[in-house]
Amino acid sequence: MALLEPIPPRILAVQRLYNADPAILRAYGADPARHTSLGLITVDQDDPTYVALDEATKHAPVDVVFAKSFYAGSGHASGPLSGEILGVLAGADPDVVEAGLKALISCLEHDACFYAADHDRKTAVFPHVISSLGDYLSAQAGLEPGTPMAYLVAPPIEATMGFDAAMKAADVRVVKLFTPPTETNFAAAWLTGSLAECEAAAVAFCETVVRVAAGPRSPGR
Amino acid sequence: MSTTRLLIERLRQDLISADPLPPPPSLPNIPLAPSRIFPRTPETESLYAREARHHTTALLGIGHVGTRYATEVVLQFQAELAVAHAAVDTLLPDDWAEKNGLLPLRSRVTAHREFLLRPDLGRRLDEPSLRRLEAEADKEIDVQPILADGLSAVACMKSGLLLLESFTAACKRRGLRVGTPVCARFARVWLEDEIGQTTRARVAAILLGERPGLGTGDGLSAYLVYEPRVGKTDGDRNMMSNIHARGLPPELAGDRLAVLAKAMIDQRTSGVTLDLSRLSAELGEAASRAPRQPQPRTRLVEVP
Repeated sequence: MALLEPIPPRILAVQRLYNADPAILRAYGADPARHTSLGLITVDQDDPTYVALDEATKHAPVDVVFAKSFYAGSGHASGPLSGEILGVLAGADPDVVEAGLKALISCLEHDACFYAADHDRKTAVFPHVISSLGDYLSAQAGLEPGTPMAYLVAPPIEATMGFDAAMKAADVRVVKLFTPPTETNFAAAWLTGSLAECEAAAVAFCETVVRVAAGPRSPGR
Repeated sequence: MSTTRLLIERLRQDLISADPLPPPPSLPNIPLAPSRIFPRTPETESLYAREARHHTTALLGIGHVGTRYATEVVLQFQAELAVAHAAVDTLLPDDWAEKNGLLPLRSRVTAHREFLLRPDLGRRLDEPSLRRLEAEADKEIDVQPILADGLSAVACMKSGLLLLESFTAACKRRGLRVGTPVCARFARVWLEDEIGQTTRARVAAILLGERPGLGTGDGLSAYLVYEPRVGKTDGDRNMMSNIHARGLPPELAGDRLAVLAKAMIDQRTSGVTLDLSRLSAELGEAASRAPRQPQPRTRLVEVP
């Protein structure tokens, strides 16, 4: 019975550049005046990694200078260590980068992950609720740091049905909708409201994705 | 740590309880193991086995421990098998016949092993025996009684004399002339043909130890043949088996055998052509075909 069991993300590589070349720093969006060290990570799930990178900014004075998903996802990676995403943390010294990586990895291992939306683990859903946004995602979303946000991801049609269900089930508003195709061909939505409303939205979204996955051609409710 | 894991786990429980998986396919119908167990209790014992046990020394209603026999049953089995082996191995002492007033004869067999391996030699008398029989035994008689060791000398020594006496007495009561009682060593059933032929008996009756079974090392069989001649077949013989204390008692068997011998002389035939239907009136209760009342049975071997 695999329904809604966590699909733990696999961390494929963690590397440090404690004294990175300024050209590299600049190329990856860091500021050589403030940053000297980089922490790099590749993971086979992109959305949990965005959440984990944001989590890192809440635990250490690091900046997420670079985070991009790879085209078509980890199923079509360019190498065994590529995965689905490369995330780069930048910090003023190696210690803060190390502290940021620790929080990032902890979040990936124990918190943010996709879930199986069917018994066969063929459909994945990411109905994550961030109770308090960090610097990175709040900037991306245009919200104040500390705001709750529901980070919802699923394959295109399941997600579309789920977003609508989430909007109708809870008092939330859309921050951003990533309509398909995205880099990984999933669809995503960022919704915000009070924490309880975000949770209700995530649950409604997840339930709808499970229902659509179980009956792709059956009429909706 | 966010609350997401908790939320999703709760949703998972809700969804699973609302929409359970279909029940697994039913298993094939596997018959249950026999319910009798050891030790026996009134609840587990089969009524049939309990009743049957009163009638036989066979291993009936012995229960089981898991898929195996109980230790007590295995020990009993081994002990009874040993009794059977020992009975086959026992030899009739050379002087036993003379001590008991019987005319000693022996077949052409010279050794016990040869006796087991060469049935043909056990069916003919050796030269000295033949001469002695011609010289000493009564001739032109009705019944020639022969006691023999057969496959169980134990049985021959234990109840052979008793059976011989009761058979001889029963024959005499019926006015038959009984020949000199002889005792044959290393004898097979067909030896009666040559002995009866030599004494010119009308009926030859050989009483010999039968092949031992479990716990019956002391069983005797009796084979009767009309007009014994070398070359008679088993189809010409009538036989009675399981003559021992727990089967047909020797005292009763003697009577029955005498009736059989008389019938052979009256009908001038034996074996499959002998009409047994008129015998029951003469036998009285001994011929009753009704099931025998249960008797308390004692095993030949008791294992503590």
